[in-house]
Amino acid sequence: MRKTVKPAMRGFFLLIAFLMVSSGDVSAIDRYSDPVTVNQRIEQIRQSSPALVKVHKMAVTPGGREMLMLEIGKSGSTMPAVLVAANMSGTTPLATEAALSLASRIVADRKMQEGHTWYILPLGNPDAFARYFQKPLYLDVANGTPFNDDTDELTDEDGYNDLNGDGIITQMRVKAHDGIWIPVEGEPRLMRKADAVKGEKGIYKLYTEGIDDDGDGKYNEDAPGGTDVNINFPHLFKSFGRRSGLFPGSTPEADALIKFAFKHPELAMVISFGKTNFLLSPPQGGRQGSYDTENIRIPEEIGKQMGLDVSRRYKMSEIIEMVQPMMPPGMTADESMIASFLGLGAVVNPMKEDLDFYNEISSNYKEYLKKKGVTAERFDPAQPEDGSFELWAYYHLGLPVFTMDLWGVPKPKEEKKDGSGITVEALEKMSSSEFLELGEDKITAFLKERGAPEQYNAKMAMTMVRNGQVSPAQMAGMIKQMPAPKSDGKKGDPKETALLAFLDSHTPGQGFVDWKPFTHPTLGEVEIGGIVPFSDNTPPAAMADSLLDLHLPYIAELVSRLPVLHLAEVKATDKGGGVYEIEAWVANSGYLPWPTAMGKRNKTPAPAILILEGEDIKILSGYKRTPVNAVGGMKSEKHTWLIVAPKRASLTLKLESSQAGRDTKRINIGG
Amino acid sequence: MERKRFFSTFVLTAIAVMMIQAQEVKVPLRFDFYYSYEQVVDALKALNKAYPGLTSLDQVGKSEEGRIIWALTINNPKTGDPMSKPGVYADGNIHGNEIQAGEVCLYLANRLLTNYGKLKEITEVVDRNAFYIIPVVNVDGRAHFFEDANTPSTSRGLSIPVDDDRDGLFDEDGPDDLDGDGNISTMRIRDTLGRYRSDPQDPRLMIAVKPGEKGEWTRLGQEGIDNDGDGQVNEDGEGYIDGNRNWGYNWQPPYVQRGAGNYPFEGSGIRAIAEWMLARQNIILVFAFHNNGGMYLRGPSFKSAGELPQGDIAVYDYLGNNIEKIVPGYEYQITWKDLYTTYGDFTDFTNNLVGSYSMVGELFQTETETYDGSFRRKEEEGRSRFGEASESERQRLQFNDRVTQGELYSEWKPFKHPLYGDVELGGWVKLSSRLPHPFMLQDLVHRNASAVIFAARNTPKITMDVFEVKKLNGDLWSVRVRLVNEGAMPSVTYETLKNKLYPPDVLSVSGRNAKVISGGKLTDIYTGKVDYKEYKPQVQLCQVPGLGKIEYQFLVSGRGDIDVKFVSVKAGTKTETVALKEK
Repeated sequence: MRKTVKPAMRGFFLLIAFLMVSSGDVSAIDRYSDPVTVNQRIEQIRQSSPALVKVHKMAVTPGGREMLMLEIGKSGSTMPAVLVAANMSGTTPLATEAALSLASRIVADRKMQEGHTWYILPLGNPDAFARYFQKPLYLDVANGTPFNDDTDELTDEDGYNDLNGDGIITQMRVKAHDGIWIPVEGEPRLMRKADAVKGEKGIYKLYTEGIDDDGDGKYNEDAPGGTDVNINFPHLFKSFGRRSGLFPGSTPEADALIKFAFKHPELAMVISFGKTNFLLSPPQGGRQGSYDTENIRIPEEIGKQMGLDVSRRYKMSEIIEMVQPMMPPGMTADESMIASFLGLGAVVNPMKEDLDFYNEISSNYKEYLKKKGVTAERFDPAQPEDGSFELWAYYHLGLPVFTMDLWGVPKPKEEKKDGSGITVEALEKMSSSEFLELGEDKITAFLKERGAPEQYNAKMAMTMVRNGQVSPAQMAGMIKQMPAPKSDGKKGDPKETALLAFLDSHTPGQGFVDWKPFTHPTLGEVEIGGIVPFSDNTPPAAMADSLLDLHLPYIAELVSRLPVLHLAEVKATDKGGGVYEIEAWVANSGYLPWPTAMGKRNKTPAPAILILEGEDIKILSGYKRTPVNAVGGMKSEKHTWLIVAPKRASLTLKLESSQAGRDTKRINIGG
Repeated sequence: MERKRFFSTFVLTAIAVMMIQAQEVKVPLRFDFYYSYEQVVDALKALNKAYPGLTSLDQVGKSEEGRIIWALTINNPKTGDPMSKPGVYADGNIHGNEIQAGEVCLYLANRLLTNYGKLKEITEVVDRNAFYIIPVVNVDGRAHFFEDANTPSTSRGLSIPVDDDRDGLFDEDGPDDLDGDGNISTMRIRDTLGRYRSDPQDPRLMIAVKPGEKGEWTRLGQEGIDNDGDGQVNEDGEGYIDGNRNWGYNWQPPYVQRGAGNYPFEGSGIRAIAEWMLARQNIILVFAFHNNGGMYLRGPSFKSAGELPQGDIAVYDYLGNNIEKIVPGYEYQITWKDLYTTYGDFTDFTNNLVGSYSMVGELFQTETETYDGSFRRKEEEGRSRFGEASESERQRLQFNDRVTQGELYSEWKPFKHPLYGDVELGGWVKLSSRLPHPFMLQDLVHRNASAVIFAARNTPKITMDVFEVKKLNGDLWSVRVRLVNEGAMPSVTYETLKNKLYPPDVLSVSGRNAKVISGGKLTDIYTGKVDYKEYKPQVQLCQVPGLGKIEYQFLVSGRGDIDVKFVSVKAGTKTETVALKEK
């Protein structure tokens, strides 16, 4: 399917490629590990400490590769566990390095083994990742499932073609009457869109490098594969998306991970290495669709049947009260029943209480980086995709999820800060009155910088905040979901410019393929060139060690914040007549709440149970097994029982939580 | 999931024995009793054995408890391979208690096979389609519905335990058959402060007391005890994961959709059926049978899906409006609008991911159980007003007394309950309320199977005609092709095209010594207007509308024979070889 260049020419290109590799530094490709090597390294880690490490075969990918998971720890499922999943999209080599390095660090560090079991998946999308080590080099999140991207009569028939034989798929630019691209002023290697409103005429059309293999007039529109494992999860799954798969869990890699998570109720935290970074940029709200439990609109057709006023808004508790008498005996109306009956849908924005700890940990992480001497600013990490692993782990498992991208394109230092002086991060933390105090001019300047649509002006924003229709944090969320602002039109995309500057200084000649003429079989005279794939998310391998040394120690800090439940105090009070009141304080000595607010909402985390046992006792009030539903971070909760006990009795109270630990206390009566 | 019983029940009562007889299963199948899971399997095997040339039997997958889910394929190999024909799929009993749905599927198979070659319409519908029939989806649920004590509504979900009361134990406190009669009935206790009193007209019924009135009874819910000693009765029974909320299209987690399961296709049998269907993309028509209410429902099951494409609505309306007449009293409705919103629904899955016209048949209407001379009561009469017993319930009790000689209702009787003391047990028995008494079953299965057969007559029926080969000059020829569809369903659904689920149908022209210079859809046959396709004119992507036609024109340069080929995922393949010469 992929047409090859003439043999004689190929020989010539191979020679050039050979000279380039041998003359330069060790290239990134030689250093990051391919899927086969990753599995060998996983096995080596196991062999280094066979008593501590197990390897689980999770799945065989559609491309026939084994997806392996490391289990580190002696306690198995009896201890709370941390799940680390890396490189779910198969396009982040540093993420896999980080997971392997973390595993080795845990094996070497007794402290890290205490208190939890680790499950580490270093490579979640082996098929896609294999491309990084193949020629020609191109980035695609697709695994090996065949997929007919262009829904024509053939599947996987028109992939990229390495026309100039440099082993890299870059771009083709061709002069055309209907071209919309022009070179960036001062940096003609980069392209930007011409702005006809400003009197600019487009010159070039841009294509990815390749030919029209199937003769349908389109270029590279149906490359081999497949499904992006990273977006094959059930939260906000995109049906019929280009790489999302047929249904959540349709691909064996994601299916295995989903099933794994529900077989392991001891999972207490998820860490993911990949494209996003919740430590720098906590999960964001502002998405439409999440319903407010205090403000529910009842659909007209249902309201009429129930005889309700559909013009007013209801609280969930009110609806439950109204519906309960209509329920058949023995059935209780609860939120999930009402939500599904009214078609209210799923939570799509992070719960407010959870954002509190996300923001606090984010500031702490930024402080940590400062202390480590990191001063350079970087471009914002990517936002999580719909259907992604990390969103699912938060919204469906209800776990605290922290993600790291470990590196980002550095921002040029000379960036001026005149203008509004407001950042989205600052906006997020502002109260409504602080926002209004900024004044119209500053807000106008800020909205302009962020490229807000013209009809969304400062006056309107201020009115909405004043009326409580939107909070500054929600506004920040909305702004973050807008496309990145185009700064000065003539300078092109600032991130591309900065990336090029970084590549020129760190890997001169390797990060960018200079535009060179080429005679294309159907497009005629074109130029081939552009930024080398992966250079915007993968630093040169030589930087990997120092980046991992910088970021991985922070994992210990994250894990130290896990909730820990214990029985702070248990006592019995004699009420007379053989009746005793048992009082127990369940305390969470960890920083993080147990469970998260999202976990409270979705009721997925297994309950913590208090079990009161004793010979010859009778419980008058309370239950033998009492669920503890939630204890906030650094908070305690009291439980009481009334019992009748003989004069001398010994009771035990057990606390069992698969996510947050176990504890037992003995209570002696009359002793 | 062992159902604990307060008393060991080793004998089902005479009532149950009468209705579930140990029948020897023979072809033609009988429909005057309900088939146990094992008997359903026997029936499928018997049909397969009696019609080896027309049927094949598949093990689709296994349930949580290891029972096999069977599918019967009816296909006439003389008219082609199943995949070369439109697929018609029917299943039932995804809710374990909704057993007559299985009988409808068995009846459909029995009807098609025993009348093949006898009735013209049935012979034609069998020759032209491949039928895929899975009578019982929730095999565990059906087995437990028969074997264990139940209410008419229990044993519905999949055999996956769920900790309903979040005490760390799973399914530890379900209802119990205290009197050992094979039914889970209702418990009530005498209570002058209770909210119910006996209906003066029929003291078996309880009616709500009016304000200021003295009560007689408090309802204690389903028959059962506090198995786990937590102070609550029956608070953590079977499951509950609903097989019909667990499919991978528009699935939502349990806090949004009760019974969804932790993730789509958590049910092993559900996933197996999904994969089995996805491997049969010729399926263009799906019927899923449930009980009850008398409805034929189409999707979407949730409002935010928006309306279906107009072209598909036309097909559904045509089927639905006719089915309303085939099954009198049943109404054709839209799930989210007329019933309620559901997520992870089976027919949404098949409509969107299998690309098929998909309907749910809600079988049986309790209003047909009458004792006042009318064939069927009006709905309004059934409504209970405050403080009054519903006329409908009184009628049903008389129906029970005089038409079924008391089979459907268990009279109140005293019982000494370990927690409540003196209580009474009674109410409608398991095999009542949601399913017809066997004497009414024949009518139900025949009419509803006829609905499927009617719809199956309307799967795409394509004929291809190369109706013009004309010399333009030298070696250049104009070739015109017409595709006609005599079925009401298009050759591929509009939803499939909208979602780009898979490619449209392909019409292609090729020849050893011929090249297609241009080609496209003939939009006006009189003026010869053609929408030419710029690239690859030899391959045209198309859809043949229901009860309609499309025409294409190709300009071919060359000589000799050319092959004209139409390939459709749903509607099969048609080929014609024509010579480039003037007729």
